[in-house]
Amino acid sequence: MVLEATMICIDNSEWMRNGDYAPNRFQAQADAVNIICGAKTQSNPENTVGVLTMAGKGVRVLVTPTSDLGKILACMHGLEIGGEMNLAAGIQVAQLALKHRQNKKQQQRIIVFAGSPIKHDKKMLEMIGRKLKKNSVALDIVDFGEEDDGKPEKLEALLSAVNNNDTSHIVHVPAGPNALSDVLINTPIFTRDGEGGSGFAAAAAAAAAGGVSGFDFGVDPNLDPELALALRVSMEEERARQEAAAKKAAEEAAKEKGGEQQPASQDTTMTEGPSASASEAENKKDDLMDDENALLQRALAMSMDDTTSSHDVRDTDMSEAAADDPDLQLALQLSVQDSAKEGNDVSKLLADQSFVSSILATLPGVDPNDPSVKDLLASMQNQSEKKDEDKGPDGDEKK
Amino acid sequence: MSAESASGIQKNQVDLVDFIDWSGVECLNQSTVHSFPNALKQGYREDDGLVLESHADEQLLIYIPFIQVVKLHSIVVTGPEEEGPKTVKLFANREHMGFSNVNDFPPSDTIILSEDNIKGKPSILKYVKFQNVRSLTIFIEDNQSGSEITKAQKIALHGTTMETTDMKGLKKIEDH
Repeated sequence: MVLEATMICIDNSEWMRNGDYAPNRFQAQADAVNIICGAKTQSNPENTVGVLTMAGKGVRVLVTPTSDLGKILACMHGLEIGGEMNLAAGIQVAQLALKHRQNKKQQQRIIVFAGSPIKHDKKMLEMIGRKLKKNSVALDIVDFGEEDDGKPEKLEALLSAVNNNDTSHIVHVPAGPNALSDVLINTPIFTRDGEGGSGFAAAAAAAAAGGVSGFDFGVDPNLDPELALALRVSMEEERARQEAAAKKAAEEAAKEKGGEQQPASQDTTMTEGPSASASEAENKKDDLMDDENALLQRALAMSMDDTTSSHDVRDTDMSEAAADDPDLQLALQLSVQDSAKEGNDVSKLLADQSFVSSILATLPGVDPNDPSVKDLLASMQNQSEKKDEDKGPDGDEKK
Repeated sequence: MSAESASGIQKNQVDLVDFIDWSGVECLNQSTVHSFPNALKQGYREDDGLVLESHADEQLLIYIPFIQVVKLHSIVVTGPEEEGPKTVKLFANREHMGFSNVNDFPPSDTIILSEDNIKGKPSILKYVKFQNVRSLTIFIEDNQSGSEITKAQKIALHGTTMETTDMKGLKKIEDH
């Protein structure tokens, strides 16, 4: 989150036509620049980035340091390749551009893409480096493309002249199957002191790789820590509930199946409470072992408890609720079974079918002639009937 | 006035260290370990072991804003005999100078520090040039022996403050 103004120096010389980086060096460089700009602007909204080209007719500033990412990306279009790179002039112009930045509080940084051979000698580069250090400008060097004799040494000399407390870095990227931007993402050029752009970079890497992001929920904790945390917590809660429900089902299987069908919650009828228990039961069967089901089941059990028994409703205390109410118990058991429609474990289900069907008919969206409804009627319980009287028809119910 | 200034600080001059706006002080080309508080801050500057050192070469550029407008009278710069500062240029009210444009403007005053000055004798400034100073830029161009690193043990500024409104003294006018 360091507040920084960055100037990126692009090499658009003839050497960039080479295809040893896919699709060609210039394109690989452009991709890397795009990613860097994104990472910088994202790590701190007040960061500014500017771009200049070092070859062509001469050093040309395409965009002065700005925080407008669109402007930066737009200026990368239509760049022409040609000429020879002038590294010294490029760095000096970058330094000048940084000197005239609007927000003097920003730290100054230059990122240089050195793809073509370097015609300056070591002494000159060291002088430039010292000048940068004196004006507290940090320098990142990306050495790619042409592998000249002496080029790495020259660049290392430049780096050591500039480097002040490890704020400057150099990366050598040989040609190969990996894209330039992928290699850069893992370097300190991106991960400034282990923080910052790593979130963006990781997401970008995921997009680039088109594969697993490595994060549990497809949400980068760096990008959106609250969302990631909420997802993780709800996932754990779900697991806990499912385990509790499974445990209860095991318990109830050993107990007598009472009559009551548990007005297990429904996808959307939770708030309606037990009034919709009939349809709820039906839908419940449809959604057995659904994650939401377990959650809603518990919630509905809670609301059920209010009317059926006097003991406190607690999230995971369904077994207690079931114990008080054999009907509930049965319903619970049913809800966790896959073959609920068969109702084969139900021995004592009362089916006051006429009453229940009349209730069902009053519910909008419920067709009493629907075969699934008919099946359900067979396992309808008195309890649900009582509840229907208490509450009005609830208006949801999908079948 | 002239008799007193030869020996020391005038009676009505105060040490302006209390009026420095520390959040805005910048020092270019200082070494990371030996930084400007060693020379400027009360307590640190008295300790001769704590010095402000230059980093890449022998020049230093220190920008000091003040919390209110001051008049500068004199400056004390001490340092070791060899690496202590020699040529010091002062610029009043110039913001954010860099080494590249430091020679573009005429300085408000230039002092060449002699051996006495390096030991602690204050250098009197051209008072008329420093009547209305909101910020001061100190450019240390070279040092006594021409070595690679310049070291300054103490940089103290003396002067007076302008009359300013004492906000605590302001009282609301009662409505009658």
